[in-house]
Amino acid sequence: MPAKRIIPCLDVKNGRVVKGIQFKQLRDLGHPVELARRYDQEGADELVFLDIAASLENRGTREAWVRDVARELSIPFTVGGGVSSVEDARSLLRAGADKVAVNTAASLRPDLVCELADAFGRQCVVAAVDVKRDADLGWRVYLKGGTEPTERSAVDWLWELNDLGAGEILLTSMDRDGTGDGFDLPLLDLASELPIPLIASGGAGLEVHFLEALEHGADAVLAATLFHEGILPIPRLKAYLAQNDLSVRI
Amino acid sequence: MSAGTITLIDYEAGNLASLEGALERLRLPYVRAASPDQAAESGPIVLPGVGHFEAAQRSLQERGWWGLLPALVAEGRPLLGICLGLQLLAEGSEEAPRTPGLGLVPGLVRRLGPGVKVPNMGWSRVRRASDHPALPDAEGAWLYFVHSYALEPSADTVYLADHGRPFAAVEARGKVMGFQPHPEKSGPDGLRLLQAALTWMGATAIAPEEPCL
Repeated sequence: MPAKRIIPCLDVKNGRVVKGIQFKQLRDLGHPVELARRYDQEGADELVFLDIAASLENRGTREAWVRDVARELSIPFTVGGGVSSVEDARSLLRAGADKVAVNTAASLRPDLVCELADAFGRQCVVAAVDVKRDADLGWRVYLKGGTEPTERSAVDWLWELNDLGAGEILLTSMDRDGTGDGFDLPLLDLASELPIPLIASGGAGLEVHFLEALEHGADAVLAATLFHEGILPIPRLKAYLAQNDLSVRI
Repeated sequence: MSAGTITLIDYEAGNLASLEGALERLRLPYVRAASPDQAAESGPIVLPGVGHFEAAQRSLQERGWWGLLPALVAEGRPLLGICLGLQLLAEGSEEAPRTPGLGLVPGLVRRLGPGVKVPNMGWSRVRRASDHPALPDAEGAWLYFVHSYALEPSADTVYLADHGRPFAAVEARGKVMGFQPHPEKSGPDGLRLLQAALTWMGATAIAPEEPCL
């Protein structure tokens, strides 16, 4: 079994890493390469970059920073945001991304997942899924950054993504995201039955939350603010997880 | 082009950007070669690769590499396969039962599992299976793996890793070598292994530029 992975997530807008403050103002945190280098040195196992303002116009900008990050980084990284075709994915992979994440486009046209898996192998395809608890469906899938509800049940959709050829699931609980109250553990219990790796996202606030998520079947945990703000340095988190008998890369 | 230049096979089935970045950091000169006429005249050949065994085989065939690689190896040309590149060196793969491999290392590539998550995605420690004259001691080193199939261990296995069962992480037969993990994505330990392998195969680093006086 591979080690449990710790993954910082970076939001990128127009080639800069940004952080939202109360969903409105964006604070500039620096160039993707600067943050990538910092997390590489800190012991992150992998990075996820989400381009939050992906558009046709800024495609060139994105390829440029992806290329710069690939040359600098000695750990793998995923890029997502607006990937809706094999060509979008190809340009990111050619620029040096190890994996691409798809979300809204895959929900609107599930065949995209098959096409990507056929073209690049399923290990390149990360299916990102945003969900909220729901009285009817258990958990409901949302699109467009959690703003648009679908009729899909999260658990059904995860199995469908697995059948379509996704190589990994990045599962975000919108209920927990930004709360710091801990991951949605019952959700992880269900999702970890999938035969492909699971990245848990949404709700990390304390070291123990990461431990819980990993003990509830996640293969990797993702967080943003805790790492960006230096509230929980990665070496400290990994030492804590190792003390609790989890396999981590130290 | 100096002797000791690495030839990096570019056949649309590999993440070349990261590998190029790693070679640049190691100051190892390389050329990207889509077809054999773009290859360096001597020096190690690197066969990267991600994706499907059969698609990669077909792509190498179309570009004129497939038949040529065993001939070059027979002449003593060093060859390093990475990830799917290692799997292509084997006799064949369960991923494409009707497509033979290059047969440059013994054994078959088999699907991982059952009972474990596939793809195997993440960092695993490797353990030494046999001594190698050039590779540094990497017992217990963490390396990054992304794969659904793996080469069964043989007498030529230098390092093993485990995912449900042991498999070949580093394989070496003469000047043919293969890495199942991505050394270019495996932090300092990975770079150290990549540097040692390529240097042993004849790659020569460029001296750092003299500072201006």
